[in-house]
Amino acid sequence: MKQLISLEVNGDVHEIAVEADATLLSVLRDNLELIGTKRGCDSGGCGCCTVHVDGKAMYSCMMYAVSAQGRKITTIEGLGTEERIDPMQEAFVKEGAVQCGYCTCGMIMTAKQLLHDNPHPSEDEIRHGIAGNLCRCTGYHKIVEAIKTAAGNGLPHMKGQ
Amino acid sequence: MTNLNVVGKSVLRQDAYDKVVGGKGFPVNVSLPGMLHGKMLRSPYPHARILSIDTSRAEKLPGVKAVMTPKDVPQIIFSPIFFMPADSMAIHRDMLILSDTVRFAGQPVAAVAATTAAIAEQALSLIDVEYEELPAVFDPEEAMKDGAPEIHAGVKNNIRATPSFGAGDVEQGFKEADYVFEGTYETQRVHTCYMEPRVCVSDTDSSGHITIYSSIAHLFGLRERLAYALGLPVSKVTVIQAPYIGGSFGSKLDLAYIEALSALLSAKTKKPVRLEHTRYEDFICNARHPMKVHLKTGVKKDGTITARYASTLCDTSAYSAHGPEVIMVHAYFGLMLGYRAPHTKWEGTVVYTNNMPGGAFRGYGAPQAAFAVESQIDEICEKLGFDPIEFRLKNTPRQGDPHPFNPEWKLGGYALDQCLHKGAERMGWANRAKAGSASGTKKRGIGMAAHPIWVSGCVGFPDIYEHSGAIIRLNVDGTAYLSSATMDIGSGQNTTLCQIAAEELGLKFESVRLAPGNTDNLPFDAPTHASRVTYSSGNAVKVAAADAKKNLLEVAAIVMEANAADLEVRDGMISVKGAPARAMSVADVVKRAESPFMVVGAEGPTPTTLKEKGTIMGISSVAPPANASPAVAEFVEVEVDTETGQVKILRAVYAHDLGRVVNPAAAQGQVEGGLQQGIGYALMEKMLFDPDTGACLTSDFLDYKMPTAVEMPSKIECIFIESNEPTGPYGAKSLSEACLIVPAPAIANAIYNAIGVRFHSLPITPEKILAALGKL
Repeated sequence: MKQLISLEVNGDVHEIAVEADATLLSVLRDNLELIGTKRGCDSGGCGCCTVHVDGKAMYSCMMYAVSAQGRKITTIEGLGTEERIDPMQEAFVKEGAVQCGYCTCGMIMTAKQLLHDNPHPSEDEIRHGIAGNLCRCTGYHKIVEAIKTAAGNGLPHMKGQ
Repeated sequence: MTNLNVVGKSVLRQDAYDKVVGGKGFPVNVSLPGMLHGKMLRSPYPHARILSIDTSRAEKLPGVKAVMTPKDVPQIIFSPIFFMPADSMAIHRDMLILSDTVRFAGQPVAAVAATTAAIAEQALSLIDVEYEELPAVFDPEEAMKDGAPEIHAGVKNNIRATPSFGAGDVEQGFKEADYVFEGTYETQRVHTCYMEPRVCVSDTDSSGHITIYSSIAHLFGLRERLAYALGLPVSKVTVIQAPYIGGSFGSKLDLAYIEALSALLSAKTKKPVRLEHTRYEDFICNARHPMKVHLKTGVKKDGTITARYASTLCDTSAYSAHGPEVIMVHAYFGLMLGYRAPHTKWEGTVVYTNNMPGGAFRGYGAPQAAFAVESQIDEICEKLGFDPIEFRLKNTPRQGDPHPFNPEWKLGGYALDQCLHKGAERMGWANRAKAGSASGTKKRGIGMAAHPIWVSGCVGFPDIYEHSGAIIRLNVDGTAYLSSATMDIGSGQNTTLCQIAAEELGLKFESVRLAPGNTDNLPFDAPTHASRVTYSSGNAVKVAAADAKKNLLEVAAIVMEANAADLEVRDGMISVKGAPARAMSVADVVKRAESPFMVVGAEGPTPTTLKEKGTIMGISSVAPPANASPAVAEFVEVEVDTETGQVKILRAVYAHDLGRVVNPAAAQGQVEGGLQQGIGYALMEKMLFDPDTGACLTSDFLDYKMPTAVEMPSKIECIFIESNEPTGPYGAKSLSEACLIVPAPAIANAIYNAIGVRFHSLPITPEKILAALGKL
């Protein structure tokens, strides 16, 4: 039995009919075609589906779409585009933190939350901050460097970008 | 080779911006009009015969468009692996798309296509299957015993293959030794854990032609294998190249059930059909083969190896698939070729069990081997007081030596000595403390492992594809498109191939772009596997670019009234050597070649010559002349908490002779990612199964633990040694797999150095450490 819900995603309000058990992830991908949010496991284990809900990073596979009503949702598409790129996205590109790229969008959403809560994290704090997001390609080394860069405490030539 | 402009630079990868803003190009995003969604019904039993399947209730569910059971699919026996010809005499064929015999828990028995994935899922619960359960066996040693369940009819004691090879007289060799070392080393089943699930969409037209979009690491392999399994000519299948896929690490190199079933469901419904694995389905799709290696080494007092004997037991699982191949690569390039001995012998056994299928995983049998070989060398050096660096150098080949796999090849550029010495110096190896001498509860140790001989592709392997092709096309704006059927699985090869093309063409890197194609319009390329792409596909790209450049300069010579031999291209400008003022841009030359025959200028129409007309292109389809071996050594420092059994990796120094670094940042990324997979293999990853039902118990990331950012060391140091391999493009040879072959033994040896305890099986978990320390 579907129900009509109203979802605010990246500043746009959508009226959508969803099943009661539809996850926010499936509605973002399948109904709204916001394909930057990735399905990696559907069980809260990988972090590929991370989005911001009311400014907090959440696994969208672990949240029902009906529970997201009345809350502000931001996906990677709302964070930045190639024309108006977010400094975190730019840092991931410049530091070589992207390999296969499937974990990347979720990782960036988590990293944004991390710097929002703690603008100048230590390396240890960065590593613990992204421990809920898995990556199988990079060994996380360049991801950590990118987050340091975005925090303004990375490589000198990156400062101010 | 100091005048390189593009090769050797850390240019930004071409797909990075696309991936950070959403990653449109992943196959998981493919959606076609009218598309149906498929799901597979999987057997709960590890070994059973299907007595009947009743699909009538499922077919009545609104939204269900087709149901497939074994009787609806071609009963053509195939092997799923891509890198050998489908009809090869050397391949073991024993699989069906859907069979009335189930041989592992989770094997598909039926499939549904419906208007939504939810309806398809619901329909599965309405299919009634009557099974006759058969006895199952999961331990390969039990499977070989008389009276064990017969898994494939007529295969005695479930022994699929018993390959062997050797040289000299190994018994004599052990007699000549002053010391003989012997041990058994066991490794576990681990999963590649690519992040993008396996997914495909098949679309069949009215003539029966199948177009398939898939998260696959070998376009032509999927075309050939899908056609074979369906009983179609290859020309009836078109595989579309995705711009990139979300990881593979070897896993996406064989025909999956989803691809065959989506094609059949699409043919039946005349609609596009999409199937996507759940993470559980990905976990039971394929995995690294667990192996048990018995290794025996004879050594003289001066450290010379006199004899090497090894035997390997490989659980190939319910089907042959990669098993009979992986054990050969394991034996030659993992166990035996790296260290010289006058007398050698190896014996392998490949055994069927009722376990989930084995597959390819970065390193293809070598990580299992290196754990045995490099652990035992550490034991030998410890016991006899040899320096582990000098012992290795004494028993390994040098630059200029014949290649141990094929003496017709030379180790042209080969610098294992530099890997060992530079790595040792950076790690501070000379200050290594005596094993087990650390005080306190947290004990530190350093260890190392090497891998002297590995591959750059598969040239010289029986019945394995290796040739590559490329097409370069120049545009009127002075840019070039590169087309290649290799799949970028994440390593950044599309970028490095464009660097090679730009270097050869004399263009800026930004002027070359990889243009995806499909199996109808691309030349064949072997899979993205065996660390082959930079060396082998890179070679083909360089040949195609040289061909395009020759054609470009011939047109330029006419227009510029010069000899083509006197012209050079640099940064998109063509000039006469020694007279840089006589120059013309590549764009202007291509424009001239592409222009109408009669060019209208201010002075009226001017005819151009026929010789300068036509699209400027280059094309190649070649195999490299040899199989260059990289050389590698890794040094790690660990800290073992003797109270908790936890091992922390503090630092890793990785030294690799890769011939030439095409893109240093991308190369570092390979090392860092390989270390993550290696730490997982050494310390934490292991697939677990219910001992009674064979059901996978580690089928999501909550139960299957791989390293997060917290488990990784903050210091990963890469030393790249450029030996300039004569047969590689700009001197390059391979990198990727070696990065995962050496970490586990290096970590095991470092743990030994820290606490004085040797482990002979992976993973080295806190439980094993505490038990070994007498604390459990």
